[in-house]
Amino acid sequence: MEIDPAEGILANTKNLGPHYSMIIMNLYRVIATCALGSLAALSAPAWAEGDPVAAVQKKQMCEGCHGIPDFRTAYPDVYSVPKLGSQGAAYIVKALQDYKSGARKHPSMLGIAASLSDKDIADLAAYYSGGDAPK
Amino acid sequence: MTKLTLTAACVLLAASGAAAAADYEAGKKKAEEICAACHGPDGNKPLTPETPRLGGQYYDYLVHSLKAYRSGARENPMMSPMAKPLSDKEVKDVAWYFSRQPGLVSKY
Repeated sequence: MEIDPAEGILANTKNLGPHYSMIIMNLYRVIATCALGSLAALSAPAWAEGDPVAAVQKKQMCEGCHGIPDFRTAYPDVYSVPKLGSQGAAYIVKALQDYKSGARKHPSMLGIAASLSDKDIADLAAYYSGGDAPK
Repeated sequence: MTKLTLTAACVLLAASGAAAAADYEAGKKKAEEICAACHGPDGNKPLTPETPRLGGQYYDYLVHSLKAYRSGARENPMMSPMAKPLSDKEVKDVAWYFSRQPGLVSKY
């Protein structure tokens, strides 16, 4: 038999008076609102909420290599560090998440990505995808 | 005679140098055949958000990436099978073609 969980709990509190059930009703409303809010956050693309301004404080660890034109990696192979300006935000997010998980391997990028939260990654992606270098 | 030999040697050296360097036109042709459908004709119109822009990217980084996909060091369901059949020359040609397009910039 299907029981509405709200009704089930309310039924148990009926002998506590109408005031008590109202509190529980309100509690359910709060829980439902929170659940809907986090569901919306989960379904939105991870890069959509990135804040390029917040990234200005976080990009210091990137610019030492990616910010210098023609800068080259030293280890394990030597090649130019890729350009990030105007790269797609979702690709930058994926690259950082892959470094973080170990799916994509590069010693220094693993170290960097491991220190980044999902919010940091979204912010950096928003910053670098934003086109030309700031004046 | 010595002069002639020297000239011939120079011509040969120049020819071999040209053969080893990447070929823009061959790269363009190959890119249109196998890369453009997902990355866009000049590497600037990726089909999906997670597909990277390639236009203007560094030549040696593109070579490194393609060789990593080819060897299996880097894996991707789309790129791994695309890169596997490429020769060293084809890798260099397409990398050279995309690196010569406008697009990505160094951003501090």
